[in-house]
Amino acid sequence: MTTEAITQVQTAPAQHRKRRNWGDGPVHVVLLVIGLIIALPVVIAFFMSFTPLREILSQGAAPEILPNTWTMENYDKAWTASPFPRYMLNSIIQTGVITIAQVVFSVLAGFAFAMFEFRGKNALFALVIGSLIIPFELTFIPNFVLISDLGWANTYAGLTVPFLASAFGVFMMRQFFLTIPRDLYDAAKIDGASDWYYLWRIMVPLSKGAISAFTIFAFLSAWNQFLWPLVITNEESMRTAQIGIRFFLVNQERATDWGAIMAGTVIVMVPTLIIFLFAQKQLVKGIAASGLKG
Amino acid sequence: MVAETAEQTAKTRSRKRYKRGSSKAYLFLFPTFLVLFVFVYYPIIESFRLSRNRVAPFGGQEIGVGFENYTRLLQNSDFWDTVKVSLWFMVGTVPIGIGLAVIIALLLSYPLKRLNWFYRTLIFLPVVISSAIAGVLFRLLYNPVVGFFNYWLGLIGIDGPNWLADRSWALVAVTIAVVWRQLGFNVIIALAGIQNIDSQLYEAAKIDGAGTFARIRYITLPQLSPTLFFLAIINVIISLQAFGEINILTDGGPGRATTNLVYQVFVDGFVGTHFLGRASAQAFLLAVMVVAISFIQFRGLGKRVHYQ
Repeated sequence: MTTEAITQVQTAPAQHRKRRNWGDGPVHVVLLVIGLIIALPVVIAFFMSFTPLREILSQGAAPEILPNTWTMENYDKAWTASPFPRYMLNSIIQTGVITIAQVVFSVLAGFAFAMFEFRGKNALFALVIGSLIIPFELTFIPNFVLISDLGWANTYAGLTVPFLASAFGVFMMRQFFLTIPRDLYDAAKIDGASDWYYLWRIMVPLSKGAISAFTIFAFLSAWNQFLWPLVITNEESMRTAQIGIRFFLVNQERATDWGAIMAGTVIVMVPTLIIFLFAQKQLVKGIAASGLKG
Repeated sequence: MVAETAEQTAKTRSRKRYKRGSSKAYLFLFPTFLVLFVFVYYPIIESFRLSRNRVAPFGGQEIGVGFENYTRLLQNSDFWDTVKVSLWFMVGTVPIGIGLAVIIALLLSYPLKRLNWFYRTLIFLPVVISSAIAGVLFRLLYNPVVGFFNYWLGLIGIDGPNWLADRSWALVAVTIAVVWRQLGFNVIIALAGIQNIDSQLYEAAKIDGAGTFARIRYITLPQLSPTLFFLAIINVIISLQAFGEINILTDGGPGRATTNLVYQVFVDGFVGTHFLGRASAQAFLLAVMVVAISFIQFRGLGKRVHYQ
């Protein structure tokens, strides 16, 4: 099923005409080599996470990619020797709250910009677009001061509240809603549907593709955040997975326990890799949207 | 209801909706704008105010010092070193990152009958990798004891440097990691751009007898110029803001060899004592730099971009 879906997108219109005289052989070889080189860091991490520490160290200067004997001891160590379960829980809460809020608020605001006429509409929309080009370094120090003054350092509120809205999401939703025929709205109104009903019962189901593309985009951005959770948490119990792996690296590297470090790395990557493998279509769509319209 | 529909000419319609939707619209917009105002727009003003203060550590007292933070920075050679690191890093990552992405996207646009999805999966992979994870993965690859890079280099007879501990190689090492992490995104954007090119142009060139490289040179690249322009802008911004890989791979070192402006802002503002005034001033100068370079790109490259 999934493979089919992926194949479908990925063999989407290719523009070059076929050059039959050469055959496809060379292109296959070149793409395979490039693909393997690019995927290699992740592949190495995956196999090393199952390699016993003895083996890693004994190989020394001639490291091998595949383990000779497979072990789960690295995962045991990563999961128990550090608060990894807690890091993952924190990341799940932080990412979940940010993603849900960004999607819901973007749908609401996108709907308002697409369907309503109101005073200051153009100015407000300009403010949305304007916030897209503001570099984060202009905002993150005052935000740090504000969140600290509110007493929200080392809390889920501190991790999430500054990111509950997304200008990109508002823009993407508005653009998509504008492609849905206005007549549908007028017809629903005649039938006595409220705006609220129309939005959630008609507009949202029609926009599933765009909404899921943005949802995945929002999830990835939130899960992969680094600088903000690094500065706003200093208690171990409030670290997110990305910050956790950073400190886990610092601790375990002294013990040269690379197997455990790679096990931790794989744990942190798993949610994003699952999305990558099973929702690649929406992911690529979301990213391409940021490029083609941005 | 019926009467209302009947009189719906274009103008009365919009006026009606203006009245009806008005207050409701603000309700729908409220959550988004609350967040944008508190955490994006207000902080810009606050950031500029902070930068003109000397802020006592831990957010205590603030003393207005005008532009002293700025004048001190501009006279400080350490500051200019961080600017140099930022610019070298940009020069190292942007052209290589975009060049590689375009070559790979051209290959991926070749109409293979099978395995297309497989190559794309391998090549797009870095797009889901965070800067922290990229840092950890490359820290392993660069490791002098168990790392793979120098082992492979050794296989082809090259004695690899001590990547992260060598002043002259550390920035190169960070550059490679960031180019890798950014590659998935760049290829996706470039490929989307290539697939948007009107296939009739290729048909016409085919009739005129243009070969593969002629088609790339005279059709693909000019048609792709808006995409390349977008990639140039985005990649410059991303390179000037690189932080995660530096934090994990080198911690700004050895010495200050990989301390770019963002990293210095982090060190001044958040490591040990919080010098928030000075950090804000540097953040402001960094933002000015980002905007200025984007502006130069718009003036310089923007003219040469070919729009259909």
